[in-house]
Amino acid sequence: MASTFEVQNISFSYEAIPAIRGLTLHIAEGDRIALLGANGSGKSTLLRILDALYFPSAGTLTFKGDALTEKHLQQDEFFLNFRRRVALVFQNPDVQLFNPTVFDEVAYGPLQLQWSKEDVIRRVDEMLHVMSISHLRDRPPYRLSLGEKKRVVLASVLVLDPEVLLLDEPTATLDPKSQSQVVDFIQQWKGTARTVITATHQLEIVEDIADRVFVLEAGTVIAEGTPLEILADTGLLLRANLIHAHRHSHGGVVHSHPHFHGQPRHEHEH
Amino acid sequence: MAPEGSALMSRHSFLERTLQGFTRAVSRALQSEHAASQPGLLQQLDPRVRVIGILALVIAVILCRRLEAIAAILLIAIAVAVASRVSLASLAIRVWLVVLGFSGVIALPALFITPGEPLFTLPALHLSISVQGVRTAVLLVLRVETAATLTTVLVLSTAWTHILKALRSLHLPAEIVTMLAMTHRYVFLLIETANQMFESRQSRTVGVLSGSEQRKMAARTAGVLLSKSIELSQEVYLAMLSRGFRGEVRVLTDFRFKARDYAGLTVFLFTGCLVVWIGR
Amino acid sequence: MHIPDGYLSPSTCATFYLFAATGWYAALKRIKRLLATRAIPLISVFAAFSFVVMMFNVPLPGGTTGHAVGVGIAAIVLGPWGSILAISIALAIQALFFGDGGITTLGANCFNMAIVGSFTAYVVYRMIAANSKLESRHRVLAAAVSGYVAINASAFVTAVELGIQPMLFHDASGTPLYAPYPLHVAIPAMMIGHLTFAGLAEAAISAGMVSYLQRADLGLLRGVSGFAQAPGTIVADASPADSPGQRSPGQLSPRRLWWAVALLMLFTPLGILAAGTAWGEWSSADLMNPHTREQIGAASGNHAPPSSVPVGIEKLSTVWTAPFPGYAPRFIKSPAFGYLLSAMFGVGFMVLASLVARVAGGKWPRRDLRS
Repeated sequence: MASTFEVQNISFSYEAIPAIRGLTLHIAEGDRIALLGANGSGKSTLLRILDALYFPSAGTLTFKGDALTEKHLQQDEFFLNFRRRVALVFQNPDVQLFNPTVFDEVAYGPLQLQWSKEDVIRRVDEMLHVMSISHLRDRPPYRLSLGEKKRVVLASVLVLDPEVLLLDEPTATLDPKSQSQVVDFIQQWKGTARTVITATHQLEIVEDIADRVFVLEAGTVIAEGTPLEILADTGLLLRANLIHAHRHSHGGVVHSHPHFHGQPRHEHEH
Repeated sequence: MAPEGSALMSRHSFLERTLQGFTRAVSRALQSEHAASQPGLLQQLDPRVRVIGILALVIAVILCRRLEAIAAILLIAIAVAVASRVSLASLAIRVWLVVLGFSGVIALPALFITPGEPLFTLPALHLSISVQGVRTAVLLVLRVETAATLTTVLVLSTAWTHILKALRSLHLPAEIVTMLAMTHRYVFLLIETANQMFESRQSRTVGVLSGSEQRKMAARTAGVLLSKSIELSQEVYLAMLSRGFRGEVRVLTDFRFKARDYAGLTVFLFTGCLVVWIGR
Repeated sequence: MHIPDGYLSPSTCATFYLFAATGWYAALKRIKRLLATRAIPLISVFAAFSFVVMMFNVPLPGGTTGHAVGVGIAAIVLGPWGSILAISIALAIQALFFGDGGITTLGANCFNMAIVGSFTAYVVYRMIAANSKLESRHRVLAAAVSGYVAINASAFVTAVELGIQPMLFHDASGTPLYAPYPLHVAIPAMMIGHLTFAGLAEAAISAGMVSYLQRADLGLLRGVSGFAQAPGTIVADASPADSPGQRSPGQLSPRRLWWAVALLMLFTPLGILAAGTAWGEWSSADLMNPHTREQIGAASGNHAPPSSVPVGIEKLSTVWTAPFPGYAPRFIKSPAFGYLLSAMFGVGFMVLASLVARVAGGKWPRRDLRS
C-alpha cells in the first residue's frame, strides 16, 4: 500500500505550551483513520500539522514522499498541488465560511487554484447538486442553519476532489440525525483510494468511520489498533479520559462503573 | 452608529436597546437582499454602472449651488427608486425621517444665527430668521436628503457582493475588497455572538443593574467579544490558507457591458453634468 | 462625528480624500510588509468589532448614554497602521450600508477618526504606558487617557473642517453653502459633547478592555507581535526579553512617531489661527448685526432650547455623535474659548517636548514598540 503520511517523532508547541510531543505514525493510502482523544490531547493540532498549517519544531513529516516544510510550501507549484490534494474541515463551520454566498464559498478553492472560469462554474454547480444544496446557491452564509453550514463546508472542500480528507470533530454539536448523516457520508469512502482521517472524542461513531484507531493523550500516541480492540480496552480509555464512571441505572439497578454511552457491549455482573 | 432611541435612557433598558439595535441591523441587511432581486430599472444595469452613476449624481449634488437643481436630483432619485422597486416606505423610514431629524435639528439654529436680512421675527423672543438662514437650512437639509437617498437606492437595489465586485473591477485594491467582504460577514457573526452573550446575561440577571454595573458589563462583554474576534481571525486565516490562499484575491467577475449599460452610464453622467451646469 | 454628505464642499471632500488615500496607501504598504497575508482576516475582524462597538450604548454618569469608536483598543492591539485600515473599513461599511456618514465625506471621516484617531491613541498610549508592566494599572490608565484624547482630537479636526466651510464657501448673498456654522460655533459645539460624554465613553471602553485583557489574554495586549513571520506559520509571541536589541522591519520607529506628532501639532496652531479669524469675524458680524448677538445672549438664560438641549445632546450624540449640542443660546465667551485652545496647544507641546527629551536622553525603547 502506498504511504500517504509518514510522521516521525514530531513536536510542536503553542507559545510555551507543548501540544505535540514525540509523535510518530504512518498512514497509508485509502486508510480510514480515527484520531481518538479527549479535548486538549492534541488531535486538532495534529490535523493542522498534517495540513501543513503548522510546522513541527522537531521531527520529520512527509506526504507521499515529499517533505512538508515551510520552505517547501513556499514554492508555488508544490503549494497549489498540496492544497488541492489535502483538505481539512475545521470544527467550527463559521470559520470556513468567509465568502459572500454559498456559490462563492464553494468556488473559492478552485479559484485560488486558478481553474478556468467555465470549469469553476460547472464544477461548483455539480457539487452543489451532489450535496443537495443547489437551492442555497445565492444564500449568504449567515442565513444558514448549522446542518446547512456543515454541508456547504463539505461541498467547498470536496469540490477539489482531494485525495486526503482531514475532519476535525465532524459530529460534535450535531443532533443524532445529522450525526448519522455525517457518518454515512464518511462510510461511503470505505474501500476507495481516498484517505480519511477523523479526529473525534465520540467513541460511538469510531467503529463506523475507521478501520484503524490512534489514541492520543497529552500530545502523543499512546495506543494503536482496530476499533474493536481499542474500544474494548477500558483501562486505556479511562487513561485517555475518553470514558468516565458515573452513577447510572439500567435494568432497574443503579450502579457506577466506567462506560461510555453507545459502547458495543454493556454486560456485566451485578 | 447606535440604535435610535429616546434621549434620557432609563438604566435597565440599556441591554434591550442594544439588542434591538442589533436585530435591526440584521433585518436592514435582509431587506437589502429583497429589493436586489426584483426586476427593476437599476437591476437591469451592470453593477459598475450603478456604482459610477450614483456616485456621479452624489457628486453633482455636492457641486450644485442652487436649490432647484438639488431638488431636481432628488426627484430623479425618487423616480429611479420607484422604477427599481425600492419601496418608498423603506426609503422614508431609513432615510428621510432620520435625516430630517438630524439635519433638521442641526439646520434649525442656522435659521437664526446666519446673518442677513430678516425675514420674520419671532415676537416674544426677539429672534429673527434671515432669508439667508432659510436658504442655508433648506440647502443643507436637501443636500443631505438627496445624497442619502441616492446611496440608499444603490445599496437597496444591489447585492453587497456585487457592489464589492464592482469596486474591485474599478481597481480598488484586492486586499481592501477582501477586507470589506470579510468585515461584512463578520459583523453579522459578531452580532450573533453579542446577541447570545446579552441574552444569556439578561436571563441570568435578576433585577436592575446600576449604571456602573452596566458599564462594567459592557466593558467585559466588549472584552470577550474582542477575544473571540482575534481567535476567529486566526482560525479564518488558517482556513483560508488551507483552501489555497496566497495573498491574491480572485473573484469570478462575470460583469459584461451590454448596450443598455453604455446607455445607462451616459444618461447618468449627462444628467449629472446638466444639473451641475444649471445649478451653478 | 460622522460627517454626512452635504456638509463639506467638493474641494474640502477632495482634499481630505487625498489625505485619507495617502494614509490608506501607507497603511496598506506597512501591513503587507509586516503581516503578510495574515493581516486581512485580523483587520476585518477588528473592523467588524469596531462596527459593533459603535452600536454599544454605554450608560454614562447622569443617566445618559454615549458610544465609543473602538479606536483606542484597535490602535493598542493592531498598532496605528492596522487600526487606520480597520476603522476606515468600519466607516466605509457604515456609510455605504447604513447611511451613517456620507460617501463624499468618507475621506474626511476616515481622516478624522481612523487616521488622526489612531495615531493620537497610539502615541498617547505609548507615552503614558511606556515600559510599565503589561499587567499594571498604569496600562489601564494609559488606555483610558489615549482613548479620551483620541476621540477629542478627532472631534477637533472634524470641528475645524466644518467650521471653515461658511468662511470659504458661500454664495453671493453670503449664504453658507455647506456646513453653516463658523469655527467659533463649531469648535465649542463639537468639543463640549466630546470632552464630556463621547470622550468618557471611549475612555471607559478602552480602559475596560485593557483591564479585561490583562486578566483574560495578556498576549493580545502585547500586540500581535509575531507579524514579521512568513505566512503559514502560527507565531509564538516573541517575548520582549528575547529580543532586546531587535526591531522587526517596518515596525514603528521613532521617526515615524515624530510624523504622527507633527501631524497632531499641525492642527493645534490652526486652532489658534482660526480663533483669530473667528474673533475678527465675530466682531464684524457683531457690528453688522448688533441686535442679534445681544438678543441671543440674553435669550440663553430662559430660551426653551437650552433646557432641552441636554436631551438633544444625548439624542444627537447617541445616533450621530452629532456636532451641535449647545450652540445657539450658549455662545462661549471669548476668554474661555481662548483658554480651551491654548490648553490643547499646550498639551500638544508637552507631548512634543517629552518626545524630544526621550530621544535626546537615549531612552527611546528599542525593542518591540507594541509591548
